[in-house]
Amino acid sequence: MVDAIIKVDGLWFAYKEDEYVLQNIDIQFDDKPTAIVGQNGAGKTTFVKVLKGLLKPSKGDVWIAGTNTKETTVAQLSKIIGLVFQNPSDQMFKSKVIDEVMFGPLNIWKDKKDKNFAYEQSIKALKIVELDNRLEEHPYDLTLSERKLLCLASIIAMDPKIIILDEPTIAQDRFSTRKLAEIIKELIKDGKVILTITHDMDFVAENFERTVIFYQGRVLDDGPTEKVLSNEENVVTAHLELPNLVKLAKALDFKTTPLTIDDFVEGFSTYKKAEG
Amino acid sequence: MGDVSTKISIEHLTYKYPFAKNVSLEDITLSIDAGQSIGIIGRNGAGKSTLCYVLSGLIPRFFHGKITGKVTIDGEDVPTMPLEKLIRKVGLVLQNPFSQISGAKMTVYEEVAFGLENLGIEKDEMHERIDTVLRQFDLYKKKDENPFELSGGQLQRLAIASVLVLKPEILILDEPTSQLDPRGTTEVFETISQLKTLGITILIVEHKFEKLVEYVDKIALLHEGKLLGYDTAEHIFSTSEIETYGVGQPIYTALCKRMGLKKANGYYPVSFGETVALLNGLKGSGMDRRTYNG
Amino acid sequence: MRVLSLYVENDTFIHKLEPITKLLYALISIVITFLFPSIMVGAVFVAFSLLLAISAKVFKRMLLLLNVVLIVLLSMVIIQGLFYRENVTPAFRLWGLTFYKEGLLYSLLLIVRVVNMIISFGVLILTTRPSDLVDDLVQKGLSPRFGYVLASVLQIIPQMLSTTSTITDAQRSRGLETEGNLFQRFSAFFALLGPLVLNSLVEARERAMAIEIRGFSVEGKRTFVRQIPETKADRWIKISLYVAFIVAVVWRIILWVM
Repeated sequence: MVDAIIKVDGLWFAYKEDEYVLQNIDIQFDDKPTAIVGQNGAGKTTFVKVLKGLLKPSKGDVWIAGTNTKETTVAQLSKIIGLVFQNPSDQMFKSKVIDEVMFGPLNIWKDKKDKNFAYEQSIKALKIVELDNRLEEHPYDLTLSERKLLCLASIIAMDPKIIILDEPTIAQDRFSTRKLAEIIKELIKDGKVILTITHDMDFVAENFERTVIFYQGRVLDDGPTEKVLSNEENVVTAHLELPNLVKLAKALDFKTTPLTIDDFVEGFSTYKKAEG
Repeated sequence: MGDVSTKISIEHLTYKYPFAKNVSLEDITLSIDAGQSIGIIGRNGAGKSTLCYVLSGLIPRFFHGKITGKVTIDGEDVPTMPLEKLIRKVGLVLQNPFSQISGAKMTVYEEVAFGLENLGIEKDEMHERIDTVLRQFDLYKKKDENPFELSGGQLQRLAIASVLVLKPEILILDEPTSQLDPRGTTEVFETISQLKTLGITILIVEHKFEKLVEYVDKIALLHEGKLLGYDTAEHIFSTSEIETYGVGQPIYTALCKRMGLKKANGYYPVSFGETVALLNGLKGSGMDRRTYNG
Repeated sequence: MRVLSLYVENDTFIHKLEPITKLLYALISIVITFLFPSIMVGAVFVAFSLLLAISAKVFKRMLLLLNVVLIVLLSMVIIQGLFYRENVTPAFRLWGLTFYKEGLLYSLLLIVRVVNMIISFGVLILTTRPSDLVDDLVQKGLSPRFGYVLASVLQIIPQMLSTTSTITDAQRSRGLETEGNLFQRFSAFFALLGPLVLNSLVEARERAMAIEIRGFSVEGKRTFVRQIPETKADRWIKISLYVAFIVAVVWRIILWVM
């Protein structure tokens, strides 16, 4: 039983007076990879910014690894919790891949002798995303998929315990999505806590144990992915779609909720046996 | 066999961007009939967008570089066609909803007028066309709003409307749903359905294969600038090589390949409907067949 | 804020005038006040411009605009009152400093000119839809390319501001300190400027492609979905303005020659 590494207590948030974008959120996150889903405007991005300390709660509290976000700085928090932003162009400004990745580590390990440490961490991170052979290249010479991996590396290099990915599969082809899934598995093995914001329901089904549905600033549903994504009513209310395999299973009247092809094959043979 | 005319014809098209190391398109040959819908798939960097730019005239007018080979629409050469004529034949919708609006207009109505103003269309006709197109794409109620206030899905509909108001017979969409949520994606695909009934020739670059196969007649597979396949979806996805190109396939096809299930015609299913039908058939007789109303 | 504009919709007589008429008034009134080194002339125009502002029901907003330059005006009084090179006659003493009559009068001249500038342009800006002004200029001969740049800047700049806040979030998430000492703030500047410039260039390129596809570079006749009419009132006002301008120039030459 792992302790909650993120604890959210009675969180309300409003950008403008009395227009609450987040309402009464009570939630905890442990080490399970979790997907946060919902349509645009449901509050997912705002929620994640509050977790990162970029926004302070209007009401309520957020604790990251025991530290209250109201009592610390964003820079301090970035040592424990990292956020990979959606658009690489929103952060890239160095002329070499290695410099771009080292930016974060150099900021948080300011001690002179730690420059080497920052370098090592960056190389490690680049190895994980398989860009360690492109150190001297200009970030804009990389393809969009590679740039997204570069941004991921720039956060991994800071070695936070928690990594949040904001819409990692947008504008990606299937090949890159698969690569990303493998990287996520490796990070989980390394003991990282992975959260993601996404609309890609198939991606959620295949890679995330737990799913939280946001709708109009509130948590509509929260639980094991199989359970949450088999509840069609909630999924439709939140203007989302069922993962393709779940959709298929429902049409065939399965009793189980398959999240992967393996699940489906298993479920189908059991199903046939039961009916036959 | 009816009077189907060839709308777009591409022969041995090769193109390299200026300052690029390699060619982006190599010896592409394909033709598209009027009213057909074609899906273009391939990994990022395969040349899909480049193909869209050539057909819409951005190459060579905007991007320069040299085109070799022949590209014609209605028999006329595309690279040398006067732009004024070309944009009345071909419209292009891009990925990013926000950077497609001109930014110079303060209402949706005026935004749609932008292209008409550039072409010098008379005022009365402008109003008529704009009204028609706003109603067609369910934007009439938003006509006085600022374009920047619209959602992603609405913006893409606006982009489509702004291009279709020029009455092109061909519409090219380059990953139109990639930045949209499921609701926005549905809106765009429903709009494409509408366009099909209007007889518009459609080319759409997409990675969401499960949705794509429901809307296109044929699929063109690009890989490293070359055209590796141009056929119906079931042909393209049923091959085993599709895995080696790293392009991916509809999840239904992957499932059926794993289960070794082919349709009666020897190909693997590619769509939701086909897969349900096939699997239902395996459940045995006398069972309740519920169809999914998605 | 979606559009960088102070325009508020209304339907007063001034609102309905053609944008160029209002622009012409602003330009000609400014030129005339600068032609004559006379506080009287300046004051007359200030009064007239104020009347226009009241008639257009934008008086309150005009005061807010003037508030912004209040400090500048005050500093003009102080600087000229103390240091104007033709200062001879003392006017009064304050805090041990001598303020001179010549300087104070000169500063008053500057003030009426500046205030007229603000009010006359303010009337234009507060009563005219920005894209209407641009459309009007293009319809009367301004290059459409230039018109597009003017019109789009008003909406693109607010967009860039919102991108800046996303960029700031992204860099702060990577440990960038945006508060702190001068050196820290200076280094922070580049981490924010870099992505902003690159982002803007990429977006500008995409937008250029999008407008190209919609015929932006097509030569030949252009039409306008929002036609800006020139009424009789507009013509009369413009004629009066041209006449006033010619009279003022001639008069000034005569005064100069005398």
